[in-house]
Amino acid sequence: MSNVNATTFTIVVVLFVIVTGVGFGAARWHRAGGGTLLHLDEWGLGGRGFGTFITWFLLGGDLYTAYTFIAVPALVFGSGAIGFYAVSYTIMVFPIVLIFLPRLWSVSRAHGYVTPADFIRGRYGSRGLALAAAVTGIVALMPYIALQLVGIQAVLTVMGVGTSSTNTYVKDVPLFVAFVVLAVFTYVSGLRAPALIAFIKDTLIYLFVIVAVFYIPTRLGGWSHIFDVAQTHFNSISPTTHKPVGTFIPTSKSIGSTQFDFASLALGSAVALFLYPHAITGTLAARRRSVVKRNMIYLPMYSVLLALIALFGYMAVADPTTAANVKKAGNAQLAVPYLFQHMFPSWFTGIAFAGIIIGALVPAAIMAIAAANLFTKNIFTEFFKPDASPRLQTRMSQWVSLVVKFGALLFAVELPHTFSINLQLLGGVWILQLAPMLIGGLFTRWFHRWALLAGWLAGEIYGTIAAYNVKNATTSHWAASSDIVFGHSIYIGLTAVILNLVIVVVLTLILRAARVPQGADETLREEYTADPAEAPAPVPQQVGI
Amino acid sequence: MTQASARTRSAVAAHPITSAAIAILVAAAIVGTLWVPFYARITPKVGDFPFFYFYLLIFMPVTSLLLFLATQLQKRLNGKPLDTPGGER
Repeated sequence: MSNVNATTFTIVVVLFVIVTGVGFGAARWHRAGGGTLLHLDEWGLGGRGFGTFITWFLLGGDLYTAYTFIAVPALVFGSGAIGFYAVSYTIMVFPIVLIFLPRLWSVSRAHGYVTPADFIRGRYGSRGLALAAAVTGIVALMPYIALQLVGIQAVLTVMGVGTSSTNTYVKDVPLFVAFVVLAVFTYVSGLRAPALIAFIKDTLIYLFVIVAVFYIPTRLGGWSHIFDVAQTHFNSISPTTHKPVGTFIPTSKSIGSTQFDFASLALGSAVALFLYPHAITGTLAARRRSVVKRNMIYLPMYSVLLALIALFGYMAVADPTTAANVKKAGNAQLAVPYLFQHMFPSWFTGIAFAGIIIGALVPAAIMAIAAANLFTKNIFTEFFKPDASPRLQTRMSQWVSLVVKFGALLFAVELPHTFSINLQLLGGVWILQLAPMLIGGLFTRWFHRWALLAGWLAGEIYGTIAAYNVKNATTSHWAASSDIVFGHSIYIGLTAVILNLVIVVVLTLILRAARVPQGADETLREEYTADPAEAPAPVPQQVGI
Repeated sequence: MTQASARTRSAVAAHPITSAAIAILVAAAIVGTLWVPFYARITPKVGDFPFFYFYLLIFMPVTSLLLFLATQLQKRLNGKPLDTPGGER
C-alpha cells in the first residue's frame, strides 16, 4: 500500500460507502402497488414501472461503463482515430434500435416476456432455440462484465492500492472487496439498486468530464496543440514495426484500410448493444412504449460525453508525464487514471476515480441481473423445475447473479489486456449471432426455426475460432476482434453474422420446401405495435409461462 | 427493414410520403456516420477541431433531431398521439 494519496483514497472510500448505503436502501424505493421483491418481475424488472427519466439513466448506464472511461480512451491512446469508432457506434445505435426495440417492448408486454429468450420461445415455439439464445446471452455478458473489472483494476492500480504480491488473485484484493459489495447489494435490491445509484454515478461523471474537458486543454496548450501532438505521434513510424504508430484520420488505402474496419466495428457494436440481455432488461422495465421511443431521441445526448471522453486518449498522448507513466507501466488502460492523477488536485482525482469505479459497478450489476434472469427463466424453470414458485425463481436469480460475476472474474484474469475493448468486442461477436432470430423474428416469421439454429451455431463457431486465432506481436490468441477478409480489415462479429444469415436463408428455403414443421407462434401481428397500457382495462401485472 | 415496415400495411399505403420521409430520416441518422469517407478529413478545421472529430461531435444532436422528426411523423401516421398526456414519469 505504498504511494497511496490519502485525500484521493479517503474520497473514493467515502463515496463508495454512500453508494453502497443507497444500494441497500434501494430495496424500499419506488415500489408501487405493494409488490414484493420476492417476485422476479420486481427483483429483475423493477416492477416494470420506470418512466422516461429513470429509463434514460438506466439505459445510459449501459453505455457509460468502464468501456467508455477506460477501454475507449485506451484504444485512442494506443491506436488513434480507430478508437473513435465507439463514437460512431453510440450515434448510430439509436436509429437502428428505434427500428426494432419498440416492437420488442410491445410484444414482451403483451405476453409477459422478461428475457429475449422468452420472446424467441414464444415466437418460434422452440425450446432449443430459446436455450441457444439464453446460453449466448449469459456467455456474451461475461467478457463485458470482465471489462468492468479491468476498468476498476486500472483505477486501483493508479491509486496505488493493492498488495505487491505477484499472485493475480492476491494482488487484486481491493478489487474483490469492491466486487463483493456490489454482489451483495445486487442480491438484496435487484434492478432498483443500479437504477438508483445511476443518478449518483451520472452526476459524478458529468461533473468530472465537463471539468476535465474544459480544464485539461488549458494545461496542455489548447485543443490545437493536443491535436497537433496526436497527429505527429500517430503518423510517426514505429521503429519496431516500421509502420505508422496509429491513425489520426481513418484512411482508405488498401493496406490497413481503417475506414472499413472503423465502419464495421461501429455497425457491429451498434446492432449488438440492444441484443444484450441487460439492455433489453432495461428496456422492458420501461412503463410505456412511448418511454422507449422517447429515450432513443434523448440518449444520443449521452454520446456527446462519450466523444469527449474518447478525446481524453489524445490528452494523455499530449501530456508527456502521463504518456511516460503509461509507457512505463506498459498498460494503455491506465491512460485516463494517470491523466487525471497528474492534472487534478488529489481531492478532485478522488471524485473522478470514484465516478469511474461506480460507473463500472452499476452496469456490472445490471448485466449480472440480466444474465441471472436468463438462467432462471429459460434454463432452470424451462428444463429443470417447471413448477418453481416465484419465490424460488427470485432466489435462483439472486444466486446466479453471484455465479455470473465470478465467471466474469475469470475472463478478467485470464484474457490478455492489451486493449480491454476486446473483451466487449468478443462479447459482441457472440451476441450478434442472435440478430437473425431476434431482430428478424420481430418483423417476419419467414425464417425456419431449425435454419436459425444452424445459422446461429455456424456464426458462433466461426466467430469464436476467428477471434481466437487473431495474434499480434505480444499475444498469440484473442489479440483483437478484427480479421482480414477479402483484403479488408473487418470486425469478426459482422462477418460471422453475415455467414449466419446466409445459412439461415438457404436452409429456410430448403426446410420450407421439405415442409418441415414450423412450430407454433403464440404472438399476434398487432401485438408488435400496441401498448397494452392504452387498452381500456389494463390487466394487472402478470407473468407468463 | 425500415421504420415504415414496422407500421401496418394500411397505414403505410395511406401515407406513402410520410412513410418514406420517416424511412429517409432514420436511414440518414444511420448512414451519417457509417459512411466514413464522407467525413474522414482533416480540413476544414472547425475551431481547433479537425473536421473528422468535429463531425462526430456535431452528428449527435443531429441524430436526436432526425429521430425526433421521425417519431413526430409517426404520430401523424398512426392518427393518434403516441401517449396520453400526463402518463409520463
